[in-house]
Amino acid sequence: MKPKQTFMIESIKVRWLITFLMLSACVERIEFDVPEAQLLTVVEGMISDNPGPYTVTVSKGISLDADSSYRVPVENASIKLFDDEGNVEEFSEIRPGLYSTGGSMQGQIGHSYYIRIESSEGLVFESEPERINQVGEIENIRFEFEPRTIVESFGEIRADVFNVFVDAKSGSDAGTYVRWKYTGTYKVITYPELHFTNTPPYRPYKDPFPCSGYVIVPGPSGGTLERRADCTCCTCWVNDFEEAPQLSDVQFITANQFKNIKVGEVPINNATFHEKYLVEVEQMSLSRKAFEFFKIVRAQKEGASSIFQPLSGEIKGNIKSINTNESVVGIFWATSSLKKKLYIYPRDVPYLLTPIDFLTLPCYQFYHNASSTKPINWE
Amino acid sequence: MFKRRLLLILFFCPLWIDAQILYVKLDGSEQGKPLATVLNEMSQENTARFYFLPEWIIPITVSQNYEGQTLAQVLNELLLGTDLNYFAMYPNAIVFIKDPTQAFIHNTAIETAVRQKKKIERYHFGEIGDEKMGQKIVISGKVIDLKTGEPLHRTNIQISGTQEGTTTDETGRYTLTFTPGAHVLSFSFVDYETKVIDLVAYKNGEINLDMEKVPFLLDEVVVQGQVIQEITTSGIGQTQLSMQELKRAPSFLGEVDLIKQVQNLPGVTTVGEAASGFNVRGGSVDQNLILYDGLPVFNSSHLFGFLTAFNPEAIRDVSFYRGGIPAEFGGRVSSVLDIQSKDGDLEKWNGKAGIGLITSNFMINGPLSKEKTSIAASFRSTYSNYLIRAIRTDYIDLRNSSVFFYDGTLKLTHILKNHSKLSFTGYSSKDSFSLAGDTTYKWNNLQGSVRLDHQFSTTLSSEFVMGLSSYDYKVDNQNYLTASSLSYRITSTVLKAAFHYNKGKHKLNYGWQLVYYRFNPGSLKPESPQSNAKPVSMDKQNSIENALYVSDDWSVNERIFVEAGLRLPIFSSYGPATINLYKEGVAREITNVIDTMYVKSGQTIKTYFGLEPRLSLRWMASPTASFKLGCSRMFQYLHLVTNSTAVTPVDIWQPSGYYFKPQRADQISVGYFKDFSQRKYGTSVEVFYKTINNILDFKDGAQLILNPLLETDLLQGKGESYGVETFLSKNTGRLTGSLNYTYSRSFRTIAGPTSSESINSGKQYPANFDQPHILNLAWKINLSRRHFFTGNFTYHTGRPVTIPLSAFVLENTTVAFFSARNQYRIPDYHRLDVALVIEGNHKLKKLFEGTWVISVYNVYARKNPYTVFFKSSGNGIPKPYQLSIIGTIFPSVSYNINF
Repeated sequence: MKPKQTFMIESIKVRWLITFLMLSACVERIEFDVPEAQLLTVVEGMISDNPGPYTVTVSKGISLDADSSYRVPVENASIKLFDDEGNVEEFSEIRPGLYSTGGSMQGQIGHSYYIRIESSEGLVFESEPERINQVGEIENIRFEFEPRTIVESFGEIRADVFNVFVDAKSGSDAGTYVRWKYTGTYKVITYPELHFTNTPPYRPYKDPFPCSGYVIVPGPSGGTLERRADCTCCTCWVNDFEEAPQLSDVQFITANQFKNIKVGEVPINNATFHEKYLVEVEQMSLSRKAFEFFKIVRAQKEGASSIFQPLSGEIKGNIKSINTNESVVGIFWATSSLKKKLYIYPRDVPYLLTPIDFLTLPCYQFYHNASSTKPINWE
Repeated sequence: MFKRRLLLILFFCPLWIDAQILYVKLDGSEQGKPLATVLNEMSQENTARFYFLPEWIIPITVSQNYEGQTLAQVLNELLLGTDLNYFAMYPNAIVFIKDPTQAFIHNTAIETAVRQKKKIERYHFGEIGDEKMGQKIVISGKVIDLKTGEPLHRTNIQISGTQEGTTTDETGRYTLTFTPGAHVLSFSFVDYETKVIDLVAYKNGEINLDMEKVPFLLDEVVVQGQVIQEITTSGIGQTQLSMQELKRAPSFLGEVDLIKQVQNLPGVTTVGEAASGFNVRGGSVDQNLILYDGLPVFNSSHLFGFLTAFNPEAIRDVSFYRGGIPAEFGGRVSSVLDIQSKDGDLEKWNGKAGIGLITSNFMINGPLSKEKTSIAASFRSTYSNYLIRAIRTDYIDLRNSSVFFYDGTLKLTHILKNHSKLSFTGYSSKDSFSLAGDTTYKWNNLQGSVRLDHQFSTTLSSEFVMGLSSYDYKVDNQNYLTASSLSYRITSTVLKAAFHYNKGKHKLNYGWQLVYYRFNPGSLKPESPQSNAKPVSMDKQNSIENALYVSDDWSVNERIFVEAGLRLPIFSSYGPATINLYKEGVAREITNVIDTMYVKSGQTIKTYFGLEPRLSLRWMASPTASFKLGCSRMFQYLHLVTNSTAVTPVDIWQPSGYYFKPQRADQISVGYFKDFSQRKYGTSVEVFYKTINNILDFKDGAQLILNPLLETDLLQGKGESYGVETFLSKNTGRLTGSLNYTYSRSFRTIAGPTSSESINSGKQYPANFDQPHILNLAWKINLSRRHFFTGNFTYHTGRPVTIPLSAFVLENTTVAFFSARNQYRIPDYHRLDVALVIEGNHKLKKLFEGTWVISVYNVYARKNPYTVFFKSSGNGIPKPYQLSIIGTIFPSVSYNINF
């Protein structure tokens, strides 16, 4: 079995980096004369055998000098979806740069699909036809406790995790190109109504966030709180996304059978297990081309920044320029997918956790990737 | 004097009248008669007159049948090499004269030698009349080091006034053939005092010489020696390095470095300061064979490549071959660096000690038993911990860091009876580096070899070497939660037998070499019960490289020299091994493994057989100019698997086997060498073209350490490089120095059957070490006999890199959009270093001799980028940064004592 990158190896790279930095202490920004990011068109979209609508995002590349990952949308493009039977459906722009089908076409296993994009400037891009392969199935999903500690400047702290594993089978025609998309979801609460403002000259006063639904009714000791509406920022659902795409080239396979594939880690703390933790694993069949694409993305994400590891390489997608020399990158991929989910409860943690931190901020301000909208699959 | 003689020669020339008698053909009846008799007969038959003093030509006999040849042809041949000449005075009168030119050449050579304070010895073999006409005489002998008795291989022997010359073989022996008479021979060897032999020989003789290392430098001698060698040594692209010059060059942290001098040669570049390896003609670092007393060295660096792991004090001589590689070397496709250690002094004890900013070293050598057994030992170690700890940095707490390294050599030499010498060499180097207390890197070289030199007869000599060499590294992580150790080891067992056979114009070298490699390609072990490191152990690999070779150094005539050779390597890898078999017609990757094959212990996995023809040719166009040609084919069976540009201690070597084919390089190079103004200036131009098959490169996103399926992450393809290397040197005077400029390109093409097995869609791309423009300038100004101002300037084009051009968002994360492989370049590298060398007084009798070297490295504080890397800013957009290892001016002082 090919070892997953143990963090020992990561550590070697990082150490070397530090070593060099130390000896030199001379690291500076460097500028290369690269083509403008605006000249790069980026396309991302997919079709699956689940009912539509399907979306395609078209945007411009982001300059390396940019301060945020804001992408300039490519608006007013005309996009069409084609299948191998001559069916066509047009996408419509639902948000700047985001295009959606109307839902009349649905992906079918064994069929191929491609899109054709025509920008308002007349640039034409086309994706190579992608075939939807059988997905197989996730036969088993389970988790295992793993004790861990990390060392901080003030001492060691616990950083235990649950490792999530699946046993799976790939579709018989799909070869072995499979991707598992892992998403974790947990519920958190905060108390934005109990917020105090404490700015110079340091006389704290009650200052509930409006989203908490509470207002201050003047009265003694800074007034009293009164509930006027429902709180829209007290309860959030936080998503943990995978850091890099997980692909099926991590082990030998026999008869399309995968065993003990580690698909994710659930950090154990008083927030993730405030109520329960939802693990969702989506198994997706891939074409060879899409597999290669995600593989490079994974290498890039895992390679991090190391002096000795040239950061992956050219990303080869399946979008081609038809009438222009301008660069285009991206993928329109076709997949058959199925999801399995699993809840992990605080009782599965082999010790008692402290109650969730008392925070007086709107929940989505404190937690990353958090939303106050309850996900449909949260039970 | 000079002018008058010249006039004399000019005076003779216009008197050459076309005499009929010279066109009279001989009928063959003259054979066996003395020349005087023949001439008498001819004068009667043709009414011609010959004027000569009888004693001049009495010894000359018409030894052969010259039927059909004209008298002029016969006289030319018979008088060749004698100091006799003739001219036609009237249509039918021939005057024989003693030709003054040879005496003139002889005297000039001696005068020059006297003026240059060279040592002159006189030899006299036989008397006039002892010579047999038409036959040349043979002078042979042996050249050894005065102190150690070691034979000096590649000593250059030049016959003044001719293009003739030779070099000594591995046993220090040489043979010269020339016409009887007076000659001046000049024996030179890098770092040794040139000896001049004033020879008068009328019969064969033997001249055995002992040469002395220059105690202090007679600069002209040494540098000139090098240049003469450039012109008259056989091979193109061969260089002897001067250890003495090396010690006077500016150095980083005051440390004398062998590899740094190699990097100043034409066609050689480096990635940067922290890269100990060097790149020859666009090749990668692993394509250089580094031999220490005949055993391979896998990591030649200390302190991540800041220093070379060889103590210059322990080295006798260093030969570097980048073209015209002799058949006795093989196994790498770019170059050979052959390092020979010093023998101990057989006469008296002496030593040397040096103190530098970060290291100190000492060397001691002397007789254990006078004129029989000697010992030479050297040791060098560091005390650079203080330096590391003194560095202020925001990155990490360095108070717990430590750096340690040493290298030591030991050489025992014993002179046996019956023309044999037995020697033992031991070499060990160790590095250990620990950072903030929890990760330690260690790497070790350990070598031991026994060598027997035996002389069977004056014409046949041999050497036998048996040795063991091991290289290993270990990365220890002492953090108890992740405690683990990663280890790697290569051991090689070497057996060599070499024979040298001297027969007249031919020098035959032949032999057999065997290297048994055992690779332990890595294992990771958890080192504490709490450790969460997962154990990994890779299969061991065994292979044998076997080679037979033969080469002939043939002096065709005084102008043409040919070195032709053939090497027959056989490389086999052996089990036990488990080999994955992949589905045909699809990309080679883990998901396509259909079966595994188990190869039993000792069973052959794969054998590669090669045929390596080598040829190098020298044609002396004149005594000061030569053309050279070199063609070679070489195979390389071990590949350094790396996706970094410099050698790091955690790189792995992969032997050829089931999936990895040997690299094959074919090279042709042509050069022209010319000296001017009595060798004051030397120039050369070399052109080369080279192709390499099965060169290795990694796939995008490859993982190389502890990867049991390396064949899925590495690709093989084609390499091509070409270039022109020019060189100019000034060898005498107060200012000496050299300037070289190289234009060369190096490309790769990796076009696999599928797109993921191709790089840049199968198009040609620049190799990692493609640096088109390289310029090196080195100089030395003698301020006085003891003070030197030296310096060097180096420039090369920045090497190619792959960089992100922009970024884009994919599924909530930011992804970098990279350029194709190696499509951009880091900024150009240039640097100026200077040094002031103050040597002790040059009195012969003194207690010790001290030398100060004050160096300034990177004088104008250029921030030369070593590499470019990318750091993601908070939003995931990678930003390019350049890392300069030495971003500032770096002064240093070192002191060396000889006693």
